[in-house]
Amino acid sequence: MIRVCSVSDIKENSMNKFTIEGKKEILVGKKNGKLFACDNSCPHRGASMHKGVYKDNNVVCYMHDYEFDIDSGKLTNMKSWKKSETWVEQNPAWRASGDLIMYDVEVKENEVYLEIRPNQ
Amino acid sequence: MTTDYKEKIGELVGIEVIEKNGIDVEKLRKLLLAGVGAEFFTYYYYTILRMHCTGRDGEGIKEIVEDARIEDRNHFEAMVPRLYEIGGDLPRDVRTFADLAGCPDAFLPDDWEDIETILKVLLEAERCAIRSWGEVCDYTANKDHRTYNIAQAIMQEEIEHEAWFVELLTKRPSGHFRRSFVGQSPHTMGHGGLQHL
Repeated sequence: MIRVCSVSDIKENSMNKFTIEGKKEILVGKKNGKLFACDNSCPHRGASMHKGVYKDNNVVCYMHDYEFDIDSGKLTNMKSWKKSETWVEQNPAWRASGDLIMYDVEVKENEVYLEIRPNQ
Repeated sequence: MTTDYKEKIGELVGIEVIEKNGIDVEKLRKLLLAGVGAEFFTYYYYTILRMHCTGRDGEGIKEIVEDARIEDRNHFEAMVPRLYEIGGDLPRDVRTFADLAGCPDAFLPDDWEDIETILKVLLEAERCAIRSWGEVCDYTANKDHRTYNIAQAIMQEEIEHEAWFVELLTKRPSGHFRRSFVGQSPHTMGHGGLQHL
């Protein structure tokens, strides 16, 4: 387990970027009173997830508005680029995205720890 | 970077120093590939969009679209050498490159006779480019000075392009006039492979 921050550092409805092990960027957020942690890179094109916003139980990437569930990391909404009916939709291969990489969070004595597995 | 290469000359100091500053070089390669891909394909799609800027309304914006089109090509030229310096490369197949581009294809809309619709497509493309290079700037600031220097120059021109299209769509007051010549790229002209300027 890797210590990231104190519980008090994470405010409700916030998304915070931390760098661990010298260069790995992770996001620790708090929504509906629950802490979660994920990789800070969007699996679609690598944008920083901490620049996004919450929508329901999702975090929305600011780059292309893709939405990921903060419990499972699953891609739940792949937004269309079309601003009107006359616009042409993007190629499916361009639109394709994996899910957000999630990390297990544990709180010990008001400190936030993450479990990062070797393949993450 | 192949093992043979490393055996011959050792580690590249240019990579070593940015890694020591906390740069994940593989992540940076992906960000740069996405960025140059967006520029390359924007150049291609802007060619089509520009061809459809005709009529009394269209002719008035054609040359502004051309300025943005050639400068986006220059952005590709400016950053690709840096991608190779850090051990990245362009995909051998251009179809793969298109699928990895950081921004959506700026397709010609079905109702292209309405110039405002073309302007909206152009505006969205510029906005995505700003976010894309902003990401590179944020990631490299104070860590990778060389990449940052090129990316921030590109971003300055992308912000100017956004302003041009906003002004055309909204009549917002503007200090913008034409570039001195097409493809001037006042901010990126000193970078990369722009010897043709």
